[in-house]
Amino acid sequence: MTAAPQHELEAQVRITPDGMAQVILRGRLDAQTVPCCWNDLQPLRLAGTNKLEVDAAGLTFCDSAGLALLHYLNLGRMAPQAAVSVIGLEPELEKLFRGFTPADYEAFHRPLRKGRLSLPEEVGNAVAEVTTDLREQVEFLGSVTGKLPPTLLDRKRMRWSEVRRVFESAGANAVPIVSLVSILVGLIIAFESAQPLAQFGAQIYVANMIGLVMVRELGPLLAAILLAGRSASAFAAELGTMKVNEELNALETFGLDPMRFLVLQRITAGILLTPLLTFYATFMGILGGVAITIGLGFPLSLILHQLSSSVHLSDVALGAAKGIVFGAIVSAVGCMRGLQTHQGPSAVGVSTTRAVVTSILLIIIADTVFSVLFFFLTR
Amino acid sequence: MNNLPESIIQVRGLKAGYGEKVILEDINFQVRRGEVFVILGGSGSGKSTLLKNLIGLYAPLAGEVWIEGSDLVVAKDDERLRLLRKFGVMYQSGALFGSMTVLENVRLPLDEFTPVPDEVKELAALAKLKLVGLGAAAQKLPSELSGGMQKRAAIARAMALDPRILFLDEPSAGLDPVTSAGLDLLIKELSHHFGITFVIVTHDLASIYAIADRVIMLDGRTRSIIAEGKPAELRASSTDHWVRQFFNREPDSAEFEHQPSTK
Repeated sequence: MTAAPQHELEAQVRITPDGMAQVILRGRLDAQTVPCCWNDLQPLRLAGTNKLEVDAAGLTFCDSAGLALLHYLNLGRMAPQAAVSVIGLEPELEKLFRGFTPADYEAFHRPLRKGRLSLPEEVGNAVAEVTTDLREQVEFLGSVTGKLPPTLLDRKRMRWSEVRRVFESAGANAVPIVSLVSILVGLIIAFESAQPLAQFGAQIYVANMIGLVMVRELGPLLAAILLAGRSASAFAAELGTMKVNEELNALETFGLDPMRFLVLQRITAGILLTPLLTFYATFMGILGGVAITIGLGFPLSLILHQLSSSVHLSDVALGAAKGIVFGAIVSAVGCMRGLQTHQGPSAVGVSTTRAVVTSILLIIIADTVFSVLFFFLTR
Repeated sequence: MNNLPESIIQVRGLKAGYGEKVILEDINFQVRRGEVFVILGGSGSGKSTLLKNLIGLYAPLAGEVWIEGSDLVVAKDDERLRLLRKFGVMYQSGALFGSMTVLENVRLPLDEFTPVPDEVKELAALAKLKLVGLGAAAQKLPSELSGGMQKRAAIARAMALDPRILFLDEPSAGLDPVTSAGLDLLIKELSHHFGITFVIVTHDLASIYAIADRVIMLDGRTRSIIAEGKPAELRASSTDHWVRQFFNREPDSAEFEHQPSTK
């Protein structure tokens, strides 16, 4: 603080026993000095004032914060029962001051009172939201399955170059992170399971286990979850931004269905690349497991024998089937959330989050369904 | 009180651009206290670049920008903050914070920079909104407002701390003539009643004639100011071909060579 603000504003409050109050303001009334006199004015609240006179003749300067204080007094918010008069304002200020009337304030305050929703209403809203979302997902699924086959057959309309671009960004560029994560998960699982198995002298079965777990479960899951994090979010952000920028509208007015022009390419790429990514993740995971098993002292030929005897063709087929389904889920959910983007600065962020959350949720649900189906089919 | 033609902004030898790419060179001008000063120029002439240098968003490649007697270019920390509070800026799109209501948008600077009690802040923000004609829209979100209302709200926010200078970037962009004229009227009023100095970037001819006390015109080809003065005078008596062309809304002849003659 450079200068003592109290010196710039003088506020005198006189309250007489019969409920008359007078406030005399002298000096600069601005954003810095308003808080200083705020405390001096507080007695007005307690005094049961019935008449309040604000004498502003001594003001040398008054900014909008100062005016707001005068409004505050004038609206009777300091002394609710009092008849208030503000006098002595210089003509320029007077004009400004009269520009904002108590009626303006009333008009503002009426719509403010928005009641909070009761619990049943909140629950109802939530249920309605979930069911609408489910319906939209089903609609989207129907629309995709309806449009995919004819578009796939039509070479011109399919825009394979776009598929290739997505394939590269969502697939090829994901290889390093998939490698790292899969190897580490393979290592961890082999390492952790080797210790309890050692109690039974069954350490060699680490190889069987890692083979089965990777091929049937973790390979597809790791690939799909990484894809959800990297690409479902990217799809949602791309399409969401396009929607916010009205690019989707531009497409539609050309008679180009965004579904056919943007979404099907991404879903096709997702369906094609996820099985490959799944096999790759499986391979890397098994590699990690094998490394641990070799470290435990088993010869490579024995490990490979265990692997090939435990993992059947049906397991590999299951992994591939999961890859295809997960790929479709992740890319479709990413696109759907992108298309559902609303307006506003946070809309794209919301869509991206929803894309990742929904795709991971659906992946896990689909995985459960696969496990049950596989159990009954191979019994 | 401020009738003297004292300059409130002085730009000296300003060189502006991005890295290697120089867009404006050796720009000199002054803005007088209380006037409505318009920066004109065709697309790509560096209007926005100049504005961003004036308000300290970009650092000039060379030169000085004096605002109320302090050089914004070299100002640091507290001094810079103090200078920044001397002016308000309305961005082309309004740039209201989308997650806050209009009232909260206007209140934000008060909340951040003044020790005023909350109830008084609310009234101050409301009075500002009333001033720009948005009293009834205080509780709305920016996305619920029309383009013209968003710009009004943005002006109210820019004025929250009672700045002496308001920079407006393309106030009439995307507005219909009626709304745009309403905005011009508001600018006139604010300039007249509060003595606020306006620095406006625009290429809307109608609004230039309506509000501008003085204009400077930038030219992308020479990267300099090619005209300075009152708009009516420039229109009537400028010797520069490009200035006359601009004020008379004539198309560039080169762009129309391929079209058949009307004869």
